[in-house]
Amino acid sequence: MNSGLSIPITAQLQMEIISLLNMEAYYLDNGKYKEWLDLLSDDLIYRMPLRETLEGVRADNVSKDASFFEETKKSLTTRVNRLYTKSAWVENPATRQRHFISNIMVESMENTSEFKVRSYFLFKRSRGSTHDIEQMFGERNDIVRKEGDQWKIVSRTIIPDQSVITTMNMSMFL
Amino acid sequence: MIKKTLDEKAFQLLKEKMDQGLFPQWVLTDPDIYELEIDKIFGRTWQFLAHETELEDPGSYVTRWMVNDPILLVKNRQGEIKGYLNSCTHRGTQLCTADHGNKKTFTCPYHGWSYNLDGELIGIVAGNKVYGEEMDKSEWGLREIPQVASYQGMIFGCLDPAAMPLEEYLGDMKWYFDILLGRSDGGMEVRGLPQRWVAKANWKATAENFAADPYHVQTTHRSTVELGISPEDPLYAGYGHQVVTENGHGINVITSKTGKARVPYQGTPESMWPMFKKNLTPEQDDILSKVTVFVGGVYPNLSFVSPIHGTEGHLHNYLNFRMWRPIGPEKVEVWCWFLIDKAAPEEYKEAAYRGYLGSFGPTGTLEQDDTETWARIVEVSKGLMMRDKQLNYNNVSNYLMGFDRVEPDETYPGPGIAYPTTYIDAISRSMHENWFKLISKDLLLKEAVK
Ligand code: FES
Ligand SMILES: [Fe+2]
Repeated sequence: MNSGLSIPITAQLQMEIISLLNMEAYYLDNGKYKEWLDLLSDDLIYRMPLRETLEGVRADNVSKDASFFEETKKSLTTRVNRLYTKSAWVENPATRQRHFISNIMVESMENTSEFKVRSYFLFKRSRGSTHDIEQMFGERNDIVRKEGDQWKIVSRTIIPDQSVITTMNMSMFL
Repeated sequence: MIKKTLDEKAFQLLKEKMDQGLFPQWVLTDPDIYELEIDKIFGRTWQFLAHETELEDPGSYVTRWMVNDPILLVKNRQGEIKGYLNSCTHRGTQLCTADHGNKKTFTCPYHGWSYNLDGELIGIVAGNKVYGEEMDKSEWGLREIPQVASYQGMIFGCLDPAAMPLEEYLGDMKWYFDILLGRSDGGMEVRGLPQRWVAKANWKATAENFAADPYHVQTTHRSTVELGISPEDPLYAGYGHQVVTENGHGINVITSKTGKARVPYQGTPESMWPMFKKNLTPEQDDILSKVTVFVGGVYPNLSFVSPIHGTEGHLHNYLNFRMWRPIGPEKVEVWCWFLIDKAAPEEYKEAAYRGYLGSFGPTGTLEQDDTETWARIVEVSKGLMMRDKQLNYNNVSNYLMGFDRVEPDETYPGPGIAYPTTYIDAISRSMHENWFKLISKDLLLKEAVK
C-alpha cells in the first residue's frame, strides 16, 4: 500500500458522504429500518462503548471493555426484524425521534476506497403523550466505502457524552 | 408528614389487603412512603456495592451509591476491601468523582485534605500553622460504612451497624449464589464498568418484575415468540420452580415443559461440566444441569438473571446482576453488570457478552420492552382513584396467582419454599411482607405507645 497516496476530499465527495448520513437519519427517523440496513456493508462493525468518568485531564474516557452495542450486520438484522413484529412494545406505539447529524468531517485513509467520517449527533425522542423529551448526544466515528454506485457504512463507533444514559431505554440506533 | 397522616387505619387496611393477596396501589409511588422506604429499608438492609473482580489490585477503587449515600470502595495494601463515605470530613465535599481508578491517596479539591487507602487523614494543607498541635488527625479519617462484607465475591454494604450479618441476611440464597457464582474454578468475573441508565419506574416494581414475575415473559417479551426464538406455549416461562427464601429474597428456576432445558448446563462448553460437578453438591448440579433461566432477587434492590441467549444462532449463558438505585418515587438509576466464568474460553466470553447486549441492559431487546411497562405503571400512579387510601375504588393490585391454591413441592432438592411453577406470586407476596415488616417497624410501636 502506498501510504503517500491520499485522495483529495473534493466538494463532490463530501456532498455524497453527507447525503449518505442524511439519508440514514431519514430512514431511522421514519421507521424504514430495512432500508437503513441496506446502507450498511456486510462486513459492518457497529459499536457503542460506554463513556467513563476518570481522573486526569487527558484521560481517555472511552471504555475499553464495556459497551452498549457490539454488533454485526447479522445481529442488527435481528434487532431490525424485531421492530417489524407487533409486540416490540417499546416501539409500539412508535416513538417519534430525530437524529440531528452535524459537524461532518471527511478524511482520506490509506485504503483509498474508504474514508473516515466523523460526525456529531443529537438524538431527540418523544414517546406517547408524555411531556418528557428524551435526548442523547455525542460523536460518531465511521468508515464509509463506495460499493458500485452506493455508499455504505463499513464501521461505526458511537461515543455518547453521558456516562449515565438518561433515555429510559436504548431502542434507537445512533 | 407520614407519621401524622398515615393513620393507623390506612396501615391496618394495607395489612388486611396484603393478607388477602392484594397490594394497595397508592403505596407504589407515594412520596411519604418513599421517604420511609429510604430510611427504614435502605437504611437498614444490605445493598450490593461491587464484585471483587472490580477491585483487582491494592489501590483499586470504585465509587458507588447506596441510594443517596456516596460510597468509595477501595482495596488497601493488605488486600482488604474498605468502604467509606465518599465525602471529605472537613466540610463534606464529595471526595472522588471518578467511576474507578487506582490511587494511593485521595485528595479533596476544596482545601486539600488527603486520605490514604485506610481512610486515615494523612495531609492537611498548612496543618500545624492553622490548626496547631491540638488537631488530632486520627479523629478526622474518612467515615467507614458501618458494615461491609462479601459472599461469593459479591460485596455488600449496610448502613445499620446493628443489622444481622450478611450471610445470615442472605440465608438460603447463599445456596443459589453458590451455583450462580461458585460453579467454576476461580468464580465469576465482571466485564468493565456497569452500564447505567435512568428508567422511569418505581424500584419496587422493577425489583418485582425481575425477581418475582416470570408470568410477564409471555406477553412483554412476545416479540421473541413472533421471531421464533421463544416457544408459542404461553406457559413456557412457567415451568420449573419459584423458590421463596428468607428476608424477601427469591429465585425462579425455570426449566421447560420436559423439566429439562433444551441444552444441558445452559449451553456452556461441555469441557466445563465436570468442573461444575466438582464444585457443586449433587442437588445443585442436578438443578444446574436442567435449568434454562435462573432469575431472582436479593431484597431490597438487587436482581439477577442467568439465561441462555444468543445473537447469531449460538447459545450462550451469562450472569447479569442489576441494582435498582431509587432516585425518587418514579425514577430508578439502573446499574447493570455482566459476569462470566473466569474459566470460560475467551471466545465464549466474548460471544456471551454480545448475547447479553442483545438481550438485557438498556440496548437489550428484552429489557427495552420491560422499560415500557415500568414507565406505564408510574405514569398512571398519581390519580385520585389510584391514591385513595380508603381503597374505595378497589385500587389494589392483584397478587392472587397461586394464592392458597398451589402447595410447595416437597420433592424439590434445594432449600427454600419451592412451588412447582414460576407463574405464581409467592416471591412478590414475600417481598411485600418483608417491605411491610421493615417499613412499619417502630412506626406502629410509636403509634401504640401514644
Ligand atoms: S472540604 Fe475537603 S478539604 Fe475542605
Ligand atoms: Fe422482562
